[in-house]
Amino acid sequence: MRKALSAALTFTLITLAVVSFSRVAHADETKMLGVITKIDCTGKDAKTATVLLKDNKSGNMVSITVNDDLTLDKFKDHRIVEGDEIRCKYETKDGKTVSTYFRKTAGC
Amino acid sequence: MGKLTIPFAMLAVLITVSVTFAKDHPGREYMEKNGYNGPATCEECHPGVAREFLDTVHWKHASKVTNVDNIDPEQEYGMKNREYTFCNGNDIVNNLKETPRNSEGKSKFTGCNTCHPGDPGDELHGVGSTGPAAEASIDCLVCHSSDYDFRLRKPVKDDKGRVIMGQDRTVKAALAVARPSAKNCMTCHESAGGGAYVKRGFLFTRENDAHAARGMVCVDCHKTRKHKIPTGFDPNNWANDGVRLACADCHGQSPHKDTHINMHTDRIACQTCHIPRTGGAFSKDFTRWTKQRDGFYEPTTLNKEANETTPVFAWYNGAVANTPRFIGPKGSRDDKKSRIYPFKVYQAKAYYNKLDGNLLSMDFAPPMATGDTLAGVASAAKTLGIKKYEPVPGWQTIYLASSHLVTRTKALSCENCHAPNGVLNFRALGYTEIETEKLTTPSIFFEEYVKRHAEKDDW
Repeated sequence: MRKALSAALTFTLITLAVVSFSRVAHADETKMLGVITKIDCTGKDAKTATVLLKDNKSGNMVSITVNDDLTLDKFKDHRIVEGDEIRCKYETKDGKTVSTYFRKTAGC
Repeated sequence: MGKLTIPFAMLAVLITVSVTFAKDHPGREYMEKNGYNGPATCEECHPGVAREFLDTVHWKHASKVTNVDNIDPEQEYGMKNREYTFCNGNDIVNNLKETPRNSEGKSKFTGCNTCHPGDPGDELHGVGSTGPAAEASIDCLVCHSSDYDFRLRKPVKDDKGRVIMGQDRTVKAALAVARPSAKNCMTCHESAGGGAYVKRGFLFTRENDAHAARGMVCVDCHKTRKHKIPTGFDPNNWANDGVRLACADCHGQSPHKDTHINMHTDRIACQTCHIPRTGGAFSKDFTRWTKQRDGFYEPTTLNKEANETTPVFAWYNGAVANTPRFIGPKGSRDDKKSRIYPFKVYQAKAYYNKLDGNLLSMDFAPPMATGDTLAGVASAAKTLGIKKYEPVPGWQTIYLASSHLVTRTKALSCENCHAPNGVLNFRALGYTEIETEKLTTPSIFFEEYVKRHAEKDDW
């Protein structure tokens, strides 16, 4: 009985350790290629915008929060518009997907 | 209240009123009443500026070039007509047009001259055009407005089927006339060469550039007079307005407090220490285009982000070597006009004409739609009147100057160069083995370094 309990406890501890390490190894940043379907950036002085991207691979809609001034400026003067294809990297912070890289794919 | 209180109060009001009015463009009232009609409106107060602008590189995309080998000093060269492998096209062969339909039945507009402040689709108003129609087509506001709506600056087909470039000529944009900001310049210069930060790989932001961190903008260094914009001596940037700029224009020849560092400035360019990284595309293959998700093709490109590439260093005296396989700096240790500069080395594959060894340029429209690169070469050859050619792939090496991404805090320090396998390859730069041995030991800077850091590292 004692041996069985000891084995069960050991097994549980090992399983917990594996799961914990798996969480530590999980990637923080995700990258995607998608098309902008909606930009929500209200006002000239907006410090943040929410963009809906349609993932080219999965077809899923991903809502991204954009905070960097350069990209916000491009939303405001429409250098980036709905329909543009974007390379985006984002991370999840406090339940929000926040952009760390946001760039048009088109060239000249 | 004292005797001087009322006059001082009046002075304060006067200053406040002056400052308030100074923020508004003096032509505001005129434009609110009469609307905005392009350069004709600007010329009400700025007579002659349209004609003046037509004689600049921004309009002509070319100029006479005096520092480059193997070209005619009486001809004009630039984005208008050059053939080199960063783009492999130019305004002439890759002029703004609609592509053929791709495999998904879609077409789009493409052309080198989308970055032209006129009407690139029409020879009356396009690159290098002159006359009243050309003057009337200048898009003043794309550089001079702080509230330009770029949805209006898109290629469209007019009623005659020509592809032309739209402009924002609204009163709203006109009322927002201001000194050009970095955004105005970056509208075109950021995306040169095939996408954001591809050509020069520089982000002009507070985090990446010391001048940007101080709130400076492009025209603070590129001080413009009569629309002539000063530039440096980039081996790959030939067209110029005849005015030049250099770091020493603002910083002088001895800008450091430490005289030992100032001793370097005779032979080492500022950029060598203060721009230790570069970025952007380092290779392209124009003989093999890659299909994108939208069904269009792009030249296969190898790219790095800003600050991801270590530059190479070479002697440069401002003269440029120019052959079909190489465009780069001339200079040497023995030439007293030469200094060591950093460069991004870019190498690309394109088609050469086996019959004469010259590079063949490419019209992007066919390969963009179908991936057929030889169709692009054929279209360009037809435009240029080249009847006999035999395309064979070959490589070209180009040295691009690195003049942005300036840093003070991450500048190179003594130990970066004066060490074995340091940043500078002294042997390749023409130093003897004995000289190199002396140059790559800390003995050359040890005592000075100790003195300099004694104050900083005082725990």
